[in-house]
Amino acid sequence: MNIVDTSGQQCPAPLIATKRALRETPADESIRVITDNRTSFNNICRFLKDNNTEFSSEESNGIWTLTISKKTSEPANADTSEYCTNDIPHFSQGDFIIAFPSDKMGEGDAELGHLLMNNFIKAIRDLDILPRKMVFYNKGVILGTEDSPVIDHLREIEKMGVSMLLCATCAKYYSIEEKIKIGTLSNMFEIARVMSTAGNIVRP
Amino acid sequence: MKVDLLQMVEAGGCSAKISPRQLEEFLKYLPLPEDPDILVGIDTHDDAGVYRVSDELALVFTTDFFPPVCSDPYEFGQIAAANSISDVYSMGGTPVIALNIMMFPSSRLPLDACAEILKGGADIATEAGVRIIGGHTIDDFPPKYGLAVVGYIHPEKIITNSGAKPGDLLILTKPAGTGVILAGLRLNMASDGDAELAKMYMKTLNRSGAEVMKKFSIKGATDITGYGLAGHALKMAKASNVSVEINLSRIPLIGDTYRLVDEGCIPGASFRNLEFVENDSHLTMDLNYNLKMIAMDAQTSGGLLMCVPPEVSENVLSELHKAGLSRSVVIGRVTEKREKYLYLEN
Repeated sequence: MNIVDTSGQQCPAPLIATKRALRETPADESIRVITDNRTSFNNICRFLKDNNTEFSSEESNGIWTLTISKKTSEPANADTSEYCTNDIPHFSQGDFIIAFPSDKMGEGDAELGHLLMNNFIKAIRDLDILPRKMVFYNKGVILGTEDSPVIDHLREIEKMGVSMLLCATCAKYYSIEEKIKIGTLSNMFEIARVMSTAGNIVRP
Repeated sequence: MKVDLLQMVEAGGCSAKISPRQLEEFLKYLPLPEDPDILVGIDTHDDAGVYRVSDELALVFTTDFFPPVCSDPYEFGQIAAANSISDVYSMGGTPVIALNIMMFPSSRLPLDACAEILKGGADIATEAGVRIIGGHTIDDFPPKYGLAVVGYIHPEKIITNSGAKPGDLLILTKPAGTGVILAGLRLNMASDGDAELAKMYMKTLNRSGAEVMKKFSIKGATDITGYGLAGHALKMAKASNVSVEINLSRIPLIGDTYRLVDEGCIPGASFRNLEFVENDSHLTMDLNYNLKMIAMDAQTSGGLLMCVPPEVSENVLSELHKAGLSRSVVIGRVTEKREKYLYLEN
C-alpha cells in the first residue's frame, strides 16, 4: 500500500500527489490518499471518476481517506503513454525560436540539403518542447509556399500553436507572395525584435 | 522588507470568483431594473452593463477586483487594472474614467506595498488612456484590488455576448493557461520563464484586439476570465441562442501549461467551472482529459473571444497578428442551436 498524506496541503497539491502516486505505484498495489481539504477531496474524486479509476472513500473528523485500487485500471499511466504516442499536440513551448535562412539544411550537396531540411521540419513536430516562433527569411521563405514539400508539416506545427513569421521583402524578391500558405508576412523590424528577444535561436 | 503577496492566498485572480452556478442561483432573485436605456443588463451575464445617455452616447460600466496573482505588489496592480479595463474593450467601448477598489491589511503589510499596487494600477490606466478619479480603501486580509471603470460607446456599436451568429468563426486573442501557471508558480512547478510570460499576457490590454473588432464591425465577443474558455463560450452561446464548437487542440497555450495539467496541476476553479458547463455541453468520447481541464481553467485578464464572419476571418487574424497579438488563432465556430450549447472536441 502506497500511502500519500497530503494533510495541510492546498489545491491543487493533493491532486498532483495523487496523480504522481498513480503513475509511480506498481499495478498490483493500492494507494491511500489522505487530505484535510474538502475541496481537494471533491476534486480528486471527480478526477478519478472522469478517468474511470475505482476508489472508495471515508471521512472522519474532517480528514478524508481515499483508497484507490490500481488493479482494475490504470488511467494515469494509460493516459500519459497515450499522449506520447498519438497525434494530440503537446503544446509545450520553450524560450527558443527556429530561424530558416535557407530552404536547405547545411552546406554541401543541394539535394542532400533539401532532404535534410524536410527531415528536420518533420522532426520539429515530434519535439517535446516546441519553439515559440519560427522565422523564415531569404530563401527560407520558399519553404512556406504551396509547392513546398514540407508545407503540410509546417501547417501542422502552426496548428500546434507555433507562430511563423516570413520576411515580406524576401517573398517579394522571389515573386512568391501569392504562394505563401503559412504564417504572416512580416517586416525586418518585427523579425529583428523576435530574434533579439528569444532566449535561444536554433538554425538548421 | 520584501513583500510576497502570493503566499497570502489559496486562489488568486479570477480563480477567486464565486462559482458561476452559485452566482446564477442567487442572481435570479434580484429584481431586473426596467428602463429602455439599459442596453445591456445583468440578464445576459455580459462583461459589462451599458446605459444609453443619448442617441450618440452610452456608458459601459464594469468592475472587477481580486486577491493577488503574483508576488510583486506593483505587478499585481498592473494585472488587476488590465483585467478590470478589459471588460470595456470586450464590449467595443473606449475606457475613460475609473475608481480604485482596494482592500489592504494595514497591520500585516507595509503601506508601501499598498502604494505599489496603486502605482501599478495607475500606470496601466494611463497606458489605456483612463483617468483614475477616486477610490475606496478598506482594511481587510488578504489584499484585493481592482477598478470600477466607465467607458464611452456609441449605442449602435455595442459588441455583446449575444451577438454570435451561426457560421461565425471563433478567434481567441491570447494563449490560455494563466490559472494553471499561477497554481504551478505557488507550488514551484512552473518555470520562471513561464511565470514571466503569463504575467506579460495578463498585463496586456485588450485594446488592440478591440480596435480590430471595431474596424471589422464585429458584433459578438466576450473576454475570457474566471469561468474559463468553456464557461465564457457557454455564456455567449446561451445569450446568443446558438451552439458553439471548440477544437480544444487549437487553443494556444502559455509555455508548459499542458505538462503542468498532465502532472495534476489543476486549480480548484477548473472543477467549479466543469460543474457549471457540463450539463449544457457535449464532450466527445475520446476527449483528452488534460485539454478538457485547460478549457475550464480560470483566466485572469485573458484574451478576447470574438465571433468573426468567415469571409473576413483571414483579414482579422492578420490584423491581430500585426497588432502584436501574435498567437491569435481560430479555435472553433458558431452553429445553429443544437441539442447542447457547447460542443468540445479534441
